[in-house]
Amino acid sequence: MTGTMVADVAPDAPALRAERRERALAAMERDGIDVLILGREANARYVAGVPRLWTAGSRPFTPGCVLVASTGDIHLLTTWDEGVPSDIPHDHLYGITFNPMNMVEVLRGVSGAATAARVGTDSLTPMFAQLLPMAFPAAEFVDGESAMRRARRCKTDAEVEEIRASVVLVERCLAAAVSELAVGVAERNVTAAFMQEMARSGVTTPSSQDVAWITSRERPWQRGDGATPVSEGDLVVLSGGVIRGGYSGEVARTVAVGGGSADFLARSAELRAALLAACVPGAASSGLLDVYERFGAPPPPVPVARGLGLGFDLPIIAADLPETAANDRLDPGTVFALTGYLWEHGVGAAMTVDPVVMTDRGPELLTEERA
Amino acid sequence: MPAGLMERVAPASVPSTVDVGAMRADRIAKVRANMADQGLDALVLLGNTNVVYATGATWPLGDPGRANFEQPVAVVLADDEWPHLFTPVPDSIDGCGLPADHVHPAVYLDLDEGARSFNRRLAELLPPGGSVGVDEWTFAMARECAWLRSSGRIRDGGKVISKSKVIKTPDEIAGIREALRITEQAIAVVEKSLASGVRQIDLTATFLRAVFEAGADANTLDPIWQVMPPTMEDGPWTTHGDLACPLLTTERELQRGDVLWVDTSITHRGFHSDFGRTWIVGDEPTARQEAQFDRWQEIMTAVLAVTRSGAAYADLTAAARSVTHGHTPWMSHFYLGHGLGIDAAEMPFVGSDLGQAFDDSHRLEAGMVLVLEPLVWDDGAAGYRAEEVVLITDDGWEPMTDYHYDPFGRTR
Repeated sequence: MTGTMVADVAPDAPALRAERRERALAAMERDGIDVLILGREANARYVAGVPRLWTAGSRPFTPGCVLVASTGDIHLLTTWDEGVPSDIPHDHLYGITFNPMNMVEVLRGVSGAATAARVGTDSLTPMFAQLLPMAFPAAEFVDGESAMRRARRCKTDAEVEEIRASVVLVERCLAAAVSELAVGVAERNVTAAFMQEMARSGVTTPSSQDVAWITSRERPWQRGDGATPVSEGDLVVLSGGVIRGGYSGEVARTVAVGGGSADFLARSAELRAALLAACVPGAASSGLLDVYERFGAPPPPVPVARGLGLGFDLPIIAADLPETAANDRLDPGTVFALTGYLWEHGVGAAMTVDPVVMTDRGPELLTEERA
Repeated sequence: MPAGLMERVAPASVPSTVDVGAMRADRIAKVRANMADQGLDALVLLGNTNVVYATGATWPLGDPGRANFEQPVAVVLADDEWPHLFTPVPDSIDGCGLPADHVHPAVYLDLDEGARSFNRRLAELLPPGGSVGVDEWTFAMARECAWLRSSGRIRDGGKVISKSKVIKTPDEIAGIREALRITEQAIAVVEKSLASGVRQIDLTATFLRAVFEAGADANTLDPIWQVMPPTMEDGPWTTHGDLACPLLTTERELQRGDVLWVDTSITHRGFHSDFGRTWIVGDEPTARQEAQFDRWQEIMTAVLAVTRSGAAYADLTAAARSVTHGHTPWMSHFYLGHGLGIDAAEMPFVGSDLGQAFDDSHRLEAGMVLVLEPLVWDDGAAGYRAEEVVLITDDGWEPMTDYHYDPFGRTR
């Protein structure tokens, strides 16, 4: 199996790019947005289809990609043309800059900048809130993230296949992590095995980096410093994710080292099955939270379901967002990581994360291991 | 000279371990002083590294897309010595000592309900009519959080953090040194594996395995092992006609004699590292390549000779150019030097496109950690690039690492 890069850095497939760009333009039209300025890497990737250098952690807003409604033109922040498709011409590429005034000059060069009435961004910083009006003097600045979320929420078939390929890789990396897992091995060495397998397979970018942790028998949610050696009987969570071709795949399993905790793990399997059964097409997403209530288990501090796709994606179903869950529907075409979490004092925790695509017929697991 | 430039490797002023409590207290005092300067009653911070700095909480940084929903948020109040932390990862506070009543469940600021709930909780903390600075915001916040425009306009809270973090405390310097040490331990393993037929991704696989085993919390830069073309013309088109670098790692197989420019960064307990060297695959450098390295050392030596507290950034750029007859010996889309610590690249930026006037008017200060990254491009035979990390002191600088330059300079 290989990743997406082989020996050349290539843009995303033409059909995928075209379909995504069309959706983004349709969402812009519906919101009356003339120019969309994207800072979030996943939004830029969605529109431009260009792999750029990955770094970890959130980034403050900077104009990384500009989409013009009237022409469909894309302007992209990249100092070179590697991985840039021919539909983004050289004169639409702009280089890395540390000088905000140079960025303003670039934006002034976007066709229609002087007259654009509505300019959308996907988030903002105080600095760019001050600077953008210098490039778009006639514009009102509006929410462009909502438009992108609508475009991205339900996946195209091609996108589902991209996510599926990412999930297959995660499973392969988790298998490598399981092989490493043994009494006396530190958590971080298990994480290291996951990362090594990922890179060997052609993908060098994880979606999360806390792959393996020994669950606590004393606290419902606690990860150690990674240096603790695994002991007989520990319940160890293996939770991995990769970003392959921009798309995230995520899977988690829990292993009882040396066996044991059979009843507890059986209950975790029941919870997982109940969560999957609650994935009814068109049903309220709050049904997922109800499953925890029925089980008499508090939901985890992390979302019970969250979108998989390019980066931040809907739905986000969490105990702290009850209204959102009540109003959200599990629409066919949504893809999400479904999280089962149980903890018992003196035993530890069991976590399952299953990547699921909603279809008209029900949930379909994207893992190869269907059990 | 190798083993030479960076031989004084243990600044006596740096403790061997980080006192997290003292570090947090130092930081929050600086942050509150800078808030007072700007007339801010509260700071709301969303940026991952800003939250790490203000609270001392750490967690393994994820993909930037994932970071938008798994986003700890910090609130710093002018009259409170403890910051508040809203976090989806409750164990991120382990070791940072925040009182329990300052730790709150996650807020989802990308969603209207999340922003509304944050707004309610913030109202309980903020003085009525208080002035709030923020580093960035979502449109859900713009809809739900009236305090965003509490003083008629949105106030920049990010600047408070950039200003506070630029001078490192002894504990922070110890933390950065540990991140550098972990990185170099892994790099040494990668260096041993370097051979013809190995793919670039294999170097990444070896690096990731070794760096996590060595104790890294997260890898923070998709590692760069760029094969440099002999001439610039053989590389990709660029917007500025200068070198294309860094280019992404692929499954490309390395060949004997390939010139690799290496660049990596990780985090450990909230501190970033940076590493840069030039390697040659399966071969010794030619005389011409050794000459490139000699020239690079001349540039580095000239720059370090003027590097001290009080030096204008322009003193360093002029020193570098004095060796190259006025030509700019660093990547024009980056800089001659950048700060390091809480972020992989932070203030100060020396020799960037902020321009000559900026470099003339800004000065180094003791306690800054500076990564110097000059390069020598020798069209027809690629070039040499490496990075050195130094601590700025009152009378000069101290090295932060002592990693060797192999395979360069070994014959002398």
